Amino acid sequence: MRDPDVLVVGAGPAGISAAAELAAAGLSVLWIDQRDRPGGAIHRQPSAASTAIAFGPASVRNQWRRLHARFQGTGVSLTGETGFAGIDSDGVAILEQRHSGTTTCVRAKAIILAVGAVERVLPRPGWHLPGVCTAGGMQVMLKETGSPPRGRVLVAGNGPLTLALATQLAAAGNPPVAVLEASDPFRRPSHALALMRSPRLVGEALHYSTRVAFARIPWKRGRRVVAIESHGGALRVRSVAKNGYVETFDVEHIALHDGIRPNTFGLPEGEARPFIIRAGDCREALGAVAAEVDGKQAARRVIARLRGEPAPKPHPMLNAERRAQDTLASLFRPHGDAVPADLPDDTILCRCEGRTVGDLRTLLAAHPGISPREVKLNGRFAMGLCQGRFCADNVAALLEHGGETGPVSADALTGTRWPIRPIAIASLIRDADDPNSSTPQ
Amino acid sequence: MAVTRKLRAAIVGAGIVGAASAYFLSRAGFAVQMLDAAAPASGATGSADGAVSVASKRPGPMMEAAIRGVETYRDLHGAGIFEGVFKERSTFMLAQDAAEDAVLEAHAVALSGNGVELRLHREDALHRTVQNLSRAIRSAIEVRGEGHAIGYEVTSRLIAASGATVARGCRVNGFRTASRSGSLDALETSAGTIEADLVVLAAGGGSASLLGLASALRPRKGQLLVTERAPALNAGIRGSLMSCRYLMSKDSTETRMTGSGRRFGLVVDPLRTGQFLIGGTREETAERGTDADAVRRLLVEAVALVPRLREVRLLRTFAGVRTATADGRPLIGRVRGFDNVLVATGFEGDGICLGPLTGKIVSQLARGEPTAIDLSPFDPARFATQEQAA
Ligand SMILES: Cc1cc2nc3c(=O)[nH]c(=O)nc-3n(C[C@H](O)[C@H](O)[C@H](O)COP(=O)(O)OP(=O)(O)OC[C@H]3O[C@@H](n4cnc5c(N)ncnc54)[C@H](O)[C@@H]3O)c2cc1C
Ligand SMILES: Cc1cc2nc3c(=O)[nH]c(=O)nc-3n(C[C@H](O)[C@H](O)[C@H](O)COP(=O)(O)OP(=O)(O)OC[C@H]3O[C@@H](n4cnc5c(N)ncnc54)[C@H](O)[C@@H]3O)c2cc1C
Repeated sequence: MRDPDVLVVGAGPAGISAAAELAAAGLSVLWIDQRDRPGGAIHRQPSAASTAIAFGPASVRNQWRRLHARFQGTGVSLTGETGFAGIDSDGVAILEQRHSGTTTCVRAKAIILAVGAVERVLPRPGWHLPGVCTAGGMQVMLKETGSPPRGRVLVAGNGPLTLALATQLAAAGNPPVAVLEASDPFRRPSHALALMRSPRLVGEALHYSTRVAFARIPWKRGRRVVAIESHGGALRVRSVAKNGYVETFDVEHIALHDGIRPNTFGLPEGEARPFIIRAGDCREALGAVAAEVDGKQAARRVIARLRGEPAPKPHPMLNAERRAQDTLASLFRPHGDAVPADLPDDTILCRCEGRTVGDLRTLLAAHPGISPREVKLNGRFAMGLCQGRFCADNVAALLEHGGETGPVSADALTGTRWPIRPIAIASLIRDADDPNSSTPQ
Repeated sequence: MAVTRKLRAAIVGAGIVGAASAYFLSRAGFAVQMLDAAAPASGATGSADGAVSVASKRPGPMMEAAIRGVETYRDLHGAGIFEGVFKERSTFMLAQDAAEDAVLEAHAVALSGNGVELRLHREDALHRTVQNLSRAIRSAIEVRGEGHAIGYEVTSRLIAASGATVARGCRVNGFRTASRSGSLDALETSAGTIEADLVVLAAGGGSASLLGLASALRPRKGQLLVTERAPALNAGIRGSLMSCRYLMSKDSTETRMTGSGRRFGLVVDPLRTGQFLIGGTREETAERGTDADAVRRLLVEAVALVPRLREVRLLRTFAGVRTATADGRPLIGRVRGFDNVLVATGFEGDGICLGPLTGKIVSQLARGEPTAIDLSPFDPARFATQEQAA
């Protein structure tokens, strides 16, 4: 593979608009995504074998038409099924080609990381049981296979995405028995009014909430899931309302979701060589429209940098999107701590290594003032296969409850590293440019 | 009745050597405070393989010290302190060709001369003893009665057992000398002045500037890899696999490797967790990155030893910085010019093995008792010291 001027990682709205902008400026671009086609989280295209279900409001579908035309017009082509595994200490990007089982190292002058956001899921007793998944995971399955899971489904957590999933499940023929929402947006009229300043968000909110209402899906606000148990081959989910009212649901599936956060795990960033910048939801989770603008911005910064010109000013539209997202966030802010300090000791925190809340408490009690790195090494939190993707935020929140350390960031547990995800040794030792040899040059 | 107050020991550095010193000093009756510029095990101790091994030691004082080092692990294991953190296992030193065979044979003579228990395995017998090994490997020398321990786990256990207080983010910048000549009465730190009756310098590479020994101590980086759990493959490999090249890269044998570039010496260590630890490099730098060239080369060599490692995923890469000395031996003893300052540093790639033993020696020195090993080869005075400014 030839060394490009710029490596763009990700083919969601941010990556598409970055790659197109760079190509239009005449730079050589290597544009990769771990998936085989562009779209990203929001415009995820169904796999070839299944039929597409049209999802989302018109604003979403319009964006996809626009982006599609944009990259087709510039002729930039996606190198699919290629995972970015990180950057080594020499500034070399390590790319894993899944289809051929090989790995390539490239040196780019600049790198734009547009790897999107990931879901947050809070720990709850029983959240590791089979039948529990994330809302995003269920959405991906829906979009890719075109069919909903069988049996009763409960959607629970926090934020507007739970409504989006409920709508999509209903459209696919299996509406959830209920949507449980930890916050109570109807109790915050002033924030709801503020939302009116963003007509697009109002449009999306109306799109999803009217569909939830039409499908007669109960949207239960001010509800927390406090326990999930196996019960006669199904799941028994216990929820508590703000006033203490307990309601139990028996379902086959529960989809959990507690908001999204930038997917920055292990990722480098910096002004050194290569010049690495983040764009879209992986820089700041502002949604798909902002991601498109931000991708273009990132490309312009790179172009200016490579040409030795001054950096362009940030786009004013990002401020408006930030205000809108802030409003949405306050509307959906749950009461109390996100990660409750009183979780039972046997609640799993790290699903990879089976470490519990109790394990963390024991460690903190034995080592007063312990640093995040020691929590990681000695507690084995953020040490497993997912490298902290699922537990680092939650462990950091519980460390803060512990009180002695002050604010703790998940980065202190996950750090900057490569590989950012586990990588097959077989593919790491096979160079794509010389697949017969397993000896690096 | 006179109330005697406990003597205060301040330990600079909370790596394995500092932690072991804390443990033995507090058992000897000292009130111990540990000061670390960052946090426990944030230096070499937290980024090491954990061979508690005689196999890889250079014949002479280092090999003798390592034998006592392994004994100390067994004692602490027996006392319950290392329960679950010290794994007894053999080391298999592997030869891939006739030249390596010869190097190994000479090393085996030195080991058995020191009373180390060895077994020679050849051909089918070797492959019955160690499963999943490449057929290209014809012979191995098994060094018995050694083990493995993870530096940060050992450090955490020792600190908890010592009851010492730990000041994190507390950097020691200098010494304050007492009115009484020849003794130090306080440390100047980023958290203010800390008084002590005894000071132990166990600050790894950070000891150099405090001692004025910048030229005697050098950083030597090592890159290491950790795989995901592969319990079935792991179970068939009874001990650590050490290529003959590893011994040569470490200067453990009489056959030295030439060149000043980075050196590779392969060790594949089956961990208790079912994971594998694969190492490592020796590079003359203090920078802590890992690079694709080195990682690929280590993996190619590891797969050549254990072909089924191909089926496993690489989980992490990291690097640690060893503190090396010009003659390959650590500094353990009194710091010239002070009667109440001890130093223990410069353990290069052997500090996990020697750490607990060194802690014991530190407490013996502090109490004026005979030491577990002869310290003359490790005398800090062998390097020209500058007088420490007050
Ligand atoms: C689970 C989930 C559900 C969402 N649902 C909705 C919704 O219903 N409605 C809505 O308006 N918004 C939704 N969003 C938000 C919306 O998807 C984002 O705002 C938008 O997609 C951001 O665009 P982006 O280009 O920044 O990232 P993305 O669209 O997420 O694109 C990132 C791309 O990077 C690729 N990638 C990631 N890591 C690597 C790697 N290591 N190597 C190679 N490629 C990689 C991914 O495959 C992906 O194609 C959702 C987000 C998430 C996470
Ligand atoms: C890649 C690698 C593999 C290894 N493999 C093995 C092996 O298999 N077997 C083996 O026996 N050994 C091995 N070692 C060697 C072993 O890790 C070290 O010898 C040992 O950890 C040294 O411990 P230490 O306590 O002397 O120093 P360190 O662990 O480096 O601790 C020094 C501490 O002092 C602190 N400090 C420094 N300066 C100051 C200051 N001014 N004030 C306050 N605090 C300060 C630091 O923050 C640090 O925490 C390996 C090392 C590496 C890097």
